Amino acid sequence: MPDQVKRLSVIFILVISALVIVRYLLIPPTFGKLGHYRARALEDAKALPVKYAGREACLECHDDVGDALGKSYHRGLSCEVCHGPGAKHVKSEGDVELVVPGKRKDCLRCHQFLSSRPTGFPQVDPLQHNPVKPCITCHDPHEPGPPRAPADCSGCHTTIAKIKGVSRHVSLKCETCHTTKAQHKLDPRKFRASIPAEREFCGKCHAKKAKGSSDIPQVDIRLHGGRYLCWECHNPHNPQGE
Amino acid sequence: MEQLIHQLYSALQNVTGFIYPNEIELQWSILIVIYPYITGLVAGAFILASLVKVFNVKEVSPTYRLSLLTALAFLIVAPLPLLAHLGHMERSYEIFLTPHLKSAMAVFGFVYLWYLMVVLLLEIWFDYRKDMIEWGNQSRGLKKLFYRFLVLFSKDTSSEALAFDKKAVRVITIIGIPSAFLLHGYVGFIFGSVKANPWWSSVLMPVVFLFSAIVSGIALVLLLYMIATMLRGEKLDMRCLDRLADFLFYSIIVDFSLEMLDFIHRLYQSEESIKIISQMVSSRLFVSLIVIQILIGTLVPLGTLFFIKITSLNEELRRLLYFLSAILVQIGIFSTRWNVVIGGQLFSKSFRGLTVYKMELLGVEGLLVGIAFLVLPFIILYVLMRILPPWSSPGPGADENSSKQLQPQTQP
Repeated sequence: MPDQVKRLSVIFILVISALVIVRYLLIPPTFGKLGHYRARALEDAKALPVKYAGREACLECHDDVGDALGKSYHRGLSCEVCHGPGAKHVKSEGDVELVVPGKRKDCLRCHQFLSSRPTGFPQVDPLQHNPVKPCITCHDPHEPGPPRAPADCSGCHTTIAKIKGVSRHVSLKCETCHTTKAQHKLDPRKFRASIPAEREFCGKCHAKKAKGSSDIPQVDIRLHGGRYLCWECHNPHNPQGE
Repeated sequence: MEQLIHQLYSALQNVTGFIYPNEIELQWSILIVIYPYITGLVAGAFILASLVKVFNVKEVSPTYRLSLLTALAFLIVAPLPLLAHLGHMERSYEIFLTPHLKSAMAVFGFVYLWYLMVVLLLEIWFDYRKDMIEWGNQSRGLKKLFYRFLVLFSKDTSSEALAFDKKAVRVITIIGIPSAFLLHGYVGFIFGSVKANPWWSSVLMPVVFLFSAIVSGIALVLLLYMIATMLRGEKLDMRCLDRLADFLFYSIIVDFSLEMLDFIHRLYQSEESIKIISQMVSSRLFVSLIVIQILIGTLVPLGTLFFIKITSLNEELRRLLYFLSAILVQIGIFSTRWNVVIGGQLFSKSFRGLTVYKMELLGVEGLLVGIAFLVLPFIILYVLMRILPPWSSPGPGADENSSKQLQPQTQP
């Protein structure tokens, strides 16, 4: 074997040995037994103290609150989402107090406006929606429906109202395009508002020869945009936006 | 949180059509553009080096060692943008300790290690061994010890030992070619295998990446050779330059043909994504794809190199045009990487809307860090060239004036 190969071999043997030693020292013994992770991690996780008691445990004492909550919009929430981990509270039979959230920021964690939240989910702009006033003065978290039917649509559809408010459709009332039953304000999911379904609806104002101001953009409603419906390209609440 | 919302609001201003909330902000930034660009330069520079040793192209031998050192300098930097993007660089060694063989990204660690340790370092070591022994003998003190250490205290310069070195370099280069293909083909594979993304998902992706790597590697070594020779006050070897330009010309043709094949294939297939992709190409990517990548980065250098081939321009004009073409090619290949990485994230998976990429200036994912990663290989290359001069000289410690008289080494 040439001299240079011997010298290189020493280096390679050293590197490989170092890797083997480091592997031996650093890889946890149970790594790979169940998958590409440390199997003992499961035992470690199991050994952690249980912090949450679960909804059932809460209902054993607070069944009255549980009944109210079960009929409200918050029925999907577990008590400990708002009140924090309750295992100690249950174990001590109430001696360890739970968290009682009451500040605006507690509610805003879910109800502050975020564009990625689903439409229809109650979202508010904290700067405009009764600023400074704690939410619980008007809303009962265990029965969080609005204290009274909102006076107009913007009470719930704040985002749309804000977008429309600076658009060319600002002067249009919501009822111009949507019809609703009176119960919609009290039970919006059961009594839904109507949504235009045909391009002819937009054509009432935007088709050629439609009646209205000469400032209203008008197009050949049959040909414009091919097979797409108007709102697939134009946001009706912000029609001049891209 | 508020800062994030503010960012999303500003990004929302430029969103068109319908887009899912998690697509508004791009997750793979400029650093992920730089990573395939740098890796491509490594593979390309190495393929150029292999022309001398495997395919016996004697004309380009002045660039042989420069190509190897360039490949090494860029290979050292190649994983850094990835690690900076992922965060926790200090944990990166774990990929070697607990290898996850079903993950292509985890296997890259081994491809990288193989290429660094078995291909590049070994080839450079065998190629420079005789010179390092000589430089060690000519130096004194710490420098002598440094060179003696680099050569692993080997002293054998017998003709048998040198013949073995030569043979070893050839064998390693032969192994190195598929390794270089693997290194950059892998990068293309990572994108090509994302089946949910029609802009990336293509079996041609690794091949396109490979040929664009060869194009960028040749162009970079051509640039470096011209600059280094000018800085050394030497005369450029025009036969070498002409031959390099030939290879650049042919590799651009293959690369461009493959890219066009890919485009035509997509257009003809006309899958459901074609509408949004056409919209993206004609709006968001128009400048970076049509103008920079295709027009300035491909057609202009291709036309220039073709013009040089069919006319008999004087040396000075040829040098100037080669230089400009190589710079344009670099810009073109960088925008190729940009268009792949950024382009693939600009359209919604609903195929109904487009977003924008707003690059940060500061911060880990920012422009300044990106520029630093692009400059770093050149600093490393400068240091490597000081330690291991690619052109024959009486030794790094020798008189500067005398080294200027030397010719580029044709037969290492």
